[in-house]
Amino acid sequence: MTTEVNDPRVPVTVLTGFLGSGKTTLLNRILTENHGKRIAVIENEFGEVGVDQELVIGAEEEIFEMNNGCICCTVRGDLIRVLGTLMKRRDRFDYILIETTGLADPGPVAQTFFVDDEMQSLLRLDGIVTLVDAKHIWQHIDDAKEAKEQIAFADVLLLNKVDLVPPSEVDRLHAHVEAMNRNAKVYRTENAQVNLGEILDIGGFNLDRALDVDPAFMEPEYPFEWGAVFELDAGEHELTLAAGPDATMNLVVLPLDEASRAGLDAKLMDAVLTFSDVERAVNPGEALHIGRDRLNQLTLEPRPLSFTLTIEQPGAYGIFTEHTKSEYSPVLRVPAGTLTPVYEHAFKPDHEHDKEVTSVGITLDGALDEKKLNAWLGVVLRTKGTDIFRMKGILNLKGSDSRFVFQGVHMLFDGRPDRPWGTERPHNSLIFIGRNLDRTALTEGFRLCLA
Amino acid sequence: MPGLIKRKNTGELTYRWQVEAGDHIHALRWSPDGGMLAVAPASGPTVVAAGATGAVMHQLPGHGFGTLSIAWGPDSSVLASSGQDGIIRIWDSATGAQRCALEGGAAWVEHVVFAPDKPLLASAAGRQLKVWDSAGHLVRAYPPHPSAITDVQWRPPQPSDSNTTPVLATSAYGGVRLWNTEQPEPLQRYEWKGSTLVIAWSPDARHIATGDQDSTVHFWIMATGQDLQMWGYPTKVRELSWDPLARYLATGGGKDITIWDTGGKGPEGTRPLQLRTHEEFVSAVAYQHHGPLLASASTDGRVLLWHPGRQPRRPLAEYRYDEEVVALAWSPDDRLLATGTENGLVRVFETPPPG
Repeated sequence: MTTEVNDPRVPVTVLTGFLGSGKTTLLNRILTENHGKRIAVIENEFGEVGVDQELVIGAEEEIFEMNNGCICCTVRGDLIRVLGTLMKRRDRFDYILIETTGLADPGPVAQTFFVDDEMQSLLRLDGIVTLVDAKHIWQHIDDAKEAKEQIAFADVLLLNKVDLVPPSEVDRLHAHVEAMNRNAKVYRTENAQVNLGEILDIGGFNLDRALDVDPAFMEPEYPFEWGAVFELDAGEHELTLAAGPDATMNLVVLPLDEASRAGLDAKLMDAVLTFSDVERAVNPGEALHIGRDRLNQLTLEPRPLSFTLTIEQPGAYGIFTEHTKSEYSPVLRVPAGTLTPVYEHAFKPDHEHDKEVTSVGITLDGALDEKKLNAWLGVVLRTKGTDIFRMKGILNLKGSDSRFVFQGVHMLFDGRPDRPWGTERPHNSLIFIGRNLDRTALTEGFRLCLA
Repeated sequence: MPGLIKRKNTGELTYRWQVEAGDHIHALRWSPDGGMLAVAPASGPTVVAAGATGAVMHQLPGHGFGTLSIAWGPDSSVLASSGQDGIIRIWDSATGAQRCALEGGAAWVEHVVFAPDKPLLASAAGRQLKVWDSAGHLVRAYPPHPSAITDVQWRPPQPSDSNTTPVLATSAYGGVRLWNTEQPEPLQRYEWKGSTLVIAWSPDARHIATGDQDSTVHFWIMATGQDLQMWGYPTKVRELSWDPLARYLATGGGKDITIWDTGGKGPEGTRPLQLRTHEEFVSAVAYQHHGPLLASASTDGRVLLWHPGRQPRRPLAEYRYDEEVVALAWSPDDRLLATGTENGLVRVFETPPPG
């Protein structure tokens, strides 16, 4: 927060959204509302905004590559020129809004603020605000890559025109865009009515606030929806399930170090990795496999759905199921009766996923080896930079008692040591937002960077 | 070391006069006869001051939101200005009256440049290049460039030129193009897959040097079309100046002044001379029109005067402002150096006699 106050640079907000999503309405609202700011608007040459002519500057979307055809380094030449000239005036603007055309890729706009020294010294990219037409977005979301990019790059998503669609449809859209971009704050609006404090001066590209946006966004998505801790004696156990709508359900059983929440949490990553393993079919009446790399795929017929669990080593065990407890009511029994879990947790259900664009959040305890991390990030950005739209992280580097924060757009990133951990438990949090991201490979690659 | 300048310390420059123009100085232009200095602040009117005293002669109304470029006609009788209103205005320098207002072709007219020896004015607005006569008649409008024009410079006339039509160079993303007024197509293209920002013709017209967004400087050899690329600048390069003998090119693009020698085999494969004194980014470099001195300005507030050909390589004289210096211009006789700051202060210094 303190850098925010002392930062003399003028904040810039980029406004994106398909034609008809309400950008013009929002712009007019921003310009006419009494906020005491002197705002300059930069829009494409033939814009529709008809407000005070002096404040609106036309710019052609001149996109070019900085280095040898690398599309991850495309920038907007017109912005460098126009903003450079604009920032020379003594009666400077307090705020700059850049409106992109409906079909624009926000990448080059964002990257312009990372690659040009002049831009970096005078201006700070505050955030990318994307308007989504709640009624018509489904027409674009699957066949126009720009629609997905605009959603994926956003710091704020406004689901606009929610009054024109049934609430259930809005819920579905909300879940869909949230799964694509876990970094963004999502608001539902009618007529683009939003408190300006939610879209201006939000510090979306501020390292200090890099991961303070919404703690929930760092909660990774798990391939399982229920996890339970049991204290088990040696011998035969029976797992029964109620009937449900699916033909199969995946399940993992892992030995834990202790029968507690901490014991379960310590094995979450093992469970995730095991869930990505090859499925082994288990029919009713058969025995469940135990341990890492043993993914059980339970065949959910014929009924009754009863499986055996043979424990050789008494101790703590964790059971992870693909679906929620309420769907299949799993019960673990011994001849003496039903067992109650020591601890159980319902994991965030998987959202309706976009086929291409997703967010991958990774949290990891322990300290990272800086060399390994650099090498890994180097490879990831070189090979996947085009597909990674945004990236943010708080890292615990070995040998440092301060947080290291970083964030990036495609291959360009910016990072620095931050405040000391203090009483906070040192940990690593990382989020990638992009196209065709391989969650397992990213998670595993990051783990290998531990010192 | 005989012949070394006797001065032990860097001298202090003193200014003869000053004008307050009120806002960031976009351009300082001496009239070719040396009698007037035109000052274009980012907003507000263009100021025309008497070269010798600084007495304000005219205040030419600005271009709505701001002036972007100014240029003197070759006989000093007219001054052209252009700005963010899409208009080019031609002013009578004796009376300060506007002679005509011309449509540049896009919202911002970023460049106006008169040919050095002919009453021809080139204007660039967005992707539109136009050439006018000094009465404001359109001589030619060219087909739009593929992207916005970043600079326009007329070829310096040469003694060997016989009755040839003037040539002008434009830069944009993709490199440099040469044009004349006879045909709408470019005469020549010098292509670079990058955004070229500024053009500097060598005084002998054998080279065009460019400063680029990708932190490079290029030397284009006009005769062969060969491109010599100089890499390694910390920032984009917008500050270029040739020495009057067309051998040395001084460049900014960071805190150092880098001087390339095109004599002999250079500049390719040679080590440039680097002058390191500025504490912040160099904002302007300017060689004298006839003499050996180089002036530099920086956002650290300092104006420095150098004799780069002589040891030791430290400034001959300096002046320190309390604000960023953003523009430099030598008077045609090299006796006065005009400097402008980010807040619109213009101070004109007397040059120490050559020594």
